[in-house]
Amino acid sequence: MVKKKSFIRTFFFWFLIVLLVTFVIYPFLWMVSVSFRYDTDAFDKGLIPKRPTLNAYEELLGLKKSIREELSNEDKQLLDLVKNMPEEQKKKVLEKIYSKRKKNSFPFLRFFKNSLLLAGISALISVIISIFGAYAFSRIEFSGRSYIQRGVLLVYLFGGTILAVPLYQIFVKMGMTNSGIKGMLSLFVIYIVQTLPVSLYMLGNYFRTIPETIEEAAIIDGCSRLKVIYKIIIPLSLPAIVTVFIYAFMIGWNEYLFASIFIRPYPEFHTLPIGLNEIFNSEHAIWTKMMAASVLTAVPVIILFMTMEKYLAGGLTTGGVKE
Amino acid sequence: MVKYTSLKRKEETFGWKLISPTLILIGFLILYPVLYNIYLSFFKVSLNFGEKNTFVGIQNYLNVLSDLSFWKSFGTTVAFTLITVMGSILLGLGVALLMNKKFPGRSIVRGLLLFPYVTPLIAIVFSWKYVFLPIDGPLVQFLSIFGFNSGTDMINDPNNAFIVVSIFNIWRNFPFVYLMILSRLQSISDDYYEAAELDGASSWQKFLNITLPELYFVIGSIALLRGIWNFYKFDEVYLMSKFANTLPIYIYEKAFSGLPQQGVAASIATILFVVMFSLIGFYVKKVLKW
Repeated sequence: MVKKKSFIRTFFFWFLIVLLVTFVIYPFLWMVSVSFRYDTDAFDKGLIPKRPTLNAYEELLGLKKSIREELSNEDKQLLDLVKNMPEEQKKKVLEKIYSKRKKNSFPFLRFFKNSLLLAGISALISVIISIFGAYAFSRIEFSGRSYIQRGVLLVYLFGGTILAVPLYQIFVKMGMTNSGIKGMLSLFVIYIVQTLPVSLYMLGNYFRTIPETIEEAAIIDGCSRLKVIYKIIIPLSLPAIVTVFIYAFMIGWNEYLFASIFIRPYPEFHTLPIGLNEIFNSEHAIWTKMMAASVLTAVPVIILFMTMEKYLAGGLTTGGVKE
Repeated sequence: MVKYTSLKRKEETFGWKLISPTLILIGFLILYPVLYNIYLSFFKVSLNFGEKNTFVGIQNYLNVLSDLSFWKSFGTTVAFTLITVMGSILLGLGVALLMNKKFPGRSIVRGLLLFPYVTPLIAIVFSWKYVFLPIDGPLVQFLSIFGFNSGTDMINDPNNAFIVVSIFNIWRNFPFVYLMILSRLQSISDDYYEAAELDGASSWQKFLNITLPELYFVIGSIALLRGIWNFYKFDEVYLMSKFANTLPIYIYEKAFSGLPQQGVAASIATILFVVMFSLIGFYVKKVLKW
């Protein structure tokens, strides 16, 4: 009797696990599957591609020219055409054609580079600033500390939705919206601030777990507080710092709202979220390429997270978490 | 004594120095904008550089509050928040209970469970859209095996978009809930359960009388956090479907598309903020009993 009940239970348990895993990875399976197909097979039934190919990836990464470019041998024909034109006119015509062609392409690598730069640098600065702030929170007693700590928490109540209009107005007044580079700069600053509260809390909580006696010994030996941070705190909390960096990086890598406000008019500066979404809503959307781009956007981040999973779970649950 | 106080003062200024970059940035880019937003909500905001804003008093508010579409999207936002918070907590709790058991392959499953939460939003949005495609989409084809053949466009139809967006939000955010609950679950002492077993308690009774009370605060706090985040949620909703019509999308469209009315958008944001603040105050007092 007991055995039978436990058999049903085990069966039910595994049924739930299978259901759960299916629910979680179903969209991912399709993403990967479609990314390995030819454009014409995008809607084939069944998860496993019948004619698997790396075509979409090769085109995205610029390893292979798109069919159109290859077939028409455009460059050569073009140069033949304009050969006899006057220099000035030649330049103009070529420029026009190249810019049009650029519009038709799928500049995935450029989006990727922009995102990497933006998310990477803002996360780095955010982590550096918050190492000092978190150290002050966890070790140094000063009046007003608890108010500031609670004040930083308050930031949770101000989502991007509320900040969008006033921040846009502020940056307009500062003349920061009329070029792509300035838009990018605005985003740097905004992403740093958006990630600061999380970084502060996660790091602060980690610093508190480092025994204070180590620092005291160093201070008695004549180390200044600043030196303590460099020589003891940072090396000892490196995994936590890397985790916080990844988390902050992820916020910048994901951000859509502010990117769409500040850099949408400047295609050269599009990040992955804004660039891919613009392409998706244009006539150049091709499912295989969209999926391959999705895989390439996701894989680096997923790998980063999986390697840091142990620390991440701890950081998520002990620290404040902000999206 | 004198030396001690001067040392203390030195520490204090050092502490302030360390925290000041954070304070300046947050002050300038978060606190000031929030106040500036309230200020803007009383103006007809000009978009031309150098042109002054015109003061209109509470006109923006009157316009918004008498606008039927505002109330509609307000209702949608409340429903969206309630559904997604309850959904992700129920699912997260269930999964945490499952994952609290030891079984072969648990670490792999745990790794997979984080996928929805850590994958970049833009990457996952397209595969959801693909899955929900009305004609050739895998989900529609799959459901047709069981005789469901609706063929409706779930994503681009304002009547259904809300459902897909809610499911998507639950799918994406339940891992966060699950992680938080699991870490609390693992800290509950086994002694309670052993004592209850001696008294002959069933699994359900153990869950009801030990597990749930122990989880009360963590679930309460998660509900608060997820509630705040989902109430403001813009990107996950907007990128999945512009037709889901929640308030953040309403604000965005008012402020940045067509003929922008940023003053009106500012007043909606202010209303959202006031509602949020009072709900949080009420919740913290009544539910979390702080």
